[in-house]
Amino acid sequence: MPDFAAPIARLIDELKHLPGIGQKTAQRLAYHLLRASPEGALALAEAIRNAKEKIRECSVCNNITDTDPCLYCTNPARNRKTICVVEEPNNILAVEKTRHYSGLYHVLGGALAPLQGVGPEQLKIKSLIERLKNGAVEEIIIATNPTAEGEATAVYLSKLLKPLGVRVTRIGVGIPVGSDLEFADEVTMLKAMEGRRDI
Amino acid sequence: MPLKESEAIILRSYPLGEGDRLVSFLSRSTGRLRGVARGARRPKSRFGSTLEPLSHIRIWFYERETRDLVRINQCELIRSFLATQRDYAAGLGLAVISEVTEAVLPEHEPSDAAFRLLLVTAGAIERSGQIALPLAYFNLWTVRLGGWLPPLDHCASCGIEFGVEGVFASPMRPGLLCNNCRHPGMRVISPRGLTLARRILTEKLERLAEEDWPSAPVNELNAYSLDLIEHQIERKLTTRRLLEKNLESNT
Ligand SMILES: [Zn+2]
Ligand SMILES: [Zn+2]
Repeated sequence: MPDFAAPIARLIDELKHLPGIGQKTAQRLAYHLLRASPEGALALAEAIRNAKEKIRECSVCNNITDTDPCLYCTNPARNRKTICVVEEPNNILAVEKTRHYSGLYHVLGGALAPLQGVGPEQLKIKSLIERLKNGAVEEIIIATNPTAEGEATAVYLSKLLKPLGVRVTRIGVGIPVGSDLEFADEVTMLKAMEGRRDI
Repeated sequence: MPLKESEAIILRSYPLGEGDRLVSFLSRSTGRLRGVARGARRPKSRFGSTLEPLSHIRIWFYERETRDLVRINQCELIRSFLATQRDYAAGLGLAVISEVTEAVLPEHEPSDAAFRLLLVTAGAIERSGQIALPLAYFNLWTVRLGGWLPPLDHCASCGIEFGVEGVFASPMRPGLLCNNCRHPGMRVISPRGLTLARRILTEKLERLAEEDWPSAPVNELNAYSLDLIEHQIERKLTTRRLLEKNLESNT
């Protein structure tokens, strides 16, 4: 690896902590920032600081927000009979993009991952159960990721929630749009078969 | 740089760089290795689900003399434990055996016994959905294979043969002690725990799993073996706290 001046090396190092950023991309970004006008680079630094200071967790759904409770939890137009459970706050955006969901959300803060030391106690499951106590919620949609951890979390939640008399559904997972069955591995194909529905 | 082929079990994998995976695996012929699977995190990766924890696979890789990371070229699934991991407790059991294996086995030292132990234990967890007994079997055998298990039949201090009383153990001292020689703060292993330990070392897990074991002796052996393992690796296992919580809630 080439020698960088210490401040550049530090910047590259910090950028490498961002998801999906490796050494090469970090270098490219660092040089881009250094070439930018001082105002441009400082505006980015200020935006990060400001977001970090103003943003906190919604005390109801754990979404990140600048008002507590968050906009989803306080919006009277949203359907209070359904809660969509996701792993991370950014997963809410993916569901919102469909424009076909108008219920509430609950962010777990991750998925069950024993090798990382994440068990049921480390996720925000108790507060989800609390939200069901007033009886207004009729359906829980589990939208955890279609990974091994996300699946285990979905199965765990459904066992826990079904006895409480609420309908529990899981988002369909399987063959991504635009892909070919020929290239689907067996686990993906199995999920797709399980998730089939009448048409 | 010849292409090597081996049977292997995936121990765990970590995201690496911008779409790759760093994979720790136990090769039947070469021992524990770490390698890079390029592009494994990209959709439609040719690795599919072969790199999930405990996947039993056939693997092709390049070993480079100057680097400790091998380059993983191709994998073929022999047996997947992905469906088993949909159950949290079973997934926790599988996580314990992969973490322990990764922690105790040195790299590049083949161990066919450790390889078979992993498969037998994972198979038992898959079949029964139970984890306590398979883990007691796995953990005690891991201690035995590591050469850290003291004699189970007599006191390490006075030499008296163990009878119907419980015995005492501490990871800080080699050897089990009788009631007369025990020190304060030692962990007790009941007579049933001692019987189970002897049977684990002489009988097949399948055979033991046919019997109904009360949880106390099984949990004693798990605690004792994990103490010895943590003492050897000089750190706490990440999965242990979750395991104890789970075993507690099932008793
Ligand atoms: Zn909210
Ligand atoms: Zn003695």
